[in-house]
Amino acid sequence: MRLMGDILIYLLTGVIYWWWTTNLSIFGVAPNIIFVAALAAAIIARPAKALVYGFFFGIYLDMLGSNLFGAYALTYTLMAYGIYIMKRHLDLVSPFSQVIAAFTLTMISMLCYQGLSLALAKINPLQLKAFLVEPFLNALLAPIVFYFFAQLKRRFDLL
Amino acid sequence: MNREKDIANYTAVFFIFISTLLLLFPSARIAQTARIFFSYSLYPSLHYGAKYDYFIRNVPDNFLNILKTDQENRALTGRIKELEVSIKAAEAADEENRRLTSEMGLSRSIALKGVWARVINKNPQDWYGAFFINKGAKDGIALNSTVVGFENGRVGLAGRVFEIYQDFSKVLLITNSVSSLICSLPGASFEGLAEGRGTWLLRMNYIPEGSDITEGAEFVTSPGGLLFPQGLPVGRVQKVHPKESFMNFITADVAPVITINALKEVYVVKRDFPTDLAVIQETLKK
Repeated sequence: MRLMGDILIYLLTGVIYWWWTTNLSIFGVAPNIIFVAALAAAIIARPAKALVYGFFFGIYLDMLGSNLFGAYALTYTLMAYGIYIMKRHLDLVSPFSQVIAAFTLTMISMLCYQGLSLALAKINPLQLKAFLVEPFLNALLAPIVFYFFAQLKRRFDLL
Repeated sequence: MNREKDIANYTAVFFIFISTLLLLFPSARIAQTARIFFSYSLYPSLHYGAKYDYFIRNVPDNFLNILKTDQENRALTGRIKELEVSIKAAEAADEENRRLTSEMGLSRSIALKGVWARVINKNPQDWYGAFFINKGAKDGIALNSTVVGFENGRVGLAGRVFEIYQDFSKVLLITNSVSSLICSLPGASFEGLAEGRGTWLLRMNYIPEGSDITEGAEFVTSPGGLLFPQGLPVGRVQKVHPKESFMNFITADVAPVITINALKEVYVVKRDFPTDLAVIQETLKK
């Protein structure tokens, strides 16, 4: 049952991300809900499940993209592991710390993806406007998604 | 705690390994298999999501379209009703036009000069007696002018003008009980007097005994009658009555060739009456 709930969360997040980017993109920029969901899952879920979420959310973005297949999966897996490490030393439950974490990790993950793309495929997928705007959007969205995921965990024992 | 930590580490290593494999060997079988496997995760959004989003996204527009269509439908329904009324009026006008065209053609063919007039009044109390037409002295209508009607492509005598006003005239119908006219059968040597009876039938009197007259024979105006041009169809014999023992002539019921009291337009023939009749007319005018 839990597995079904997790799959449902995964698919639902994908649908919301697709719908938002399709209908609510402004000048080609939209918050990366998949990233925020992976971040929230990494904060809330147990370490192993957080890594699974990170990997699969990354794969989802890789499937949607056309560049390196597996780059997002690697990036988000590493991000989930990093959060697992950070959770011991930092408070990531408060909204402010989530905003900061989302902002910082968005930039890091973008740079990581950019680095992998340059190193392995010699391509430059990072757009400046996305690099400048998306971290703020993700930071604003992070507490909301975290709250939503926290409610799912509390009420349905998911994640 | 350590167990959870170990699981996390092993999981991280496993997924990092998988990711690295996918990254380093994008064309490998495992990468292709992974692509195919994970492509199923795109179905909810890219297939079903796009499918239902299309309908949901169009709901407001469709709703507005339904409202607009409803408004247009109401307006068009009203317009259709107006047009139906117009069509009925146009059909009536077309029918009238067709009838008039036909009758005008006939009027040219009978080679009689005259004017068209519209029947403007019929008195139910005198249904077979008279009617009014919309042409009078201003239009050159003269007393005793012959009035003919047309029906189904046929011309027939209707009556004569017997009262003239400035803008209209009264026509005495041949079915009037005071009306009488001399008729003959084309090619026959006898004549008869057709008298109105106040009904739709005429009574043909004074047909010489032994005359060759049969039902269906058509009487026309006789040259002997000065009031009407000769040769105008008057009516057909409906029934020949046997000779009365004390009379030396026979009678017959004659139905007018046109339905006189159904006429809507008539043709008033202008003609020069014989001199003696003209003198009488002048006398009457004075």
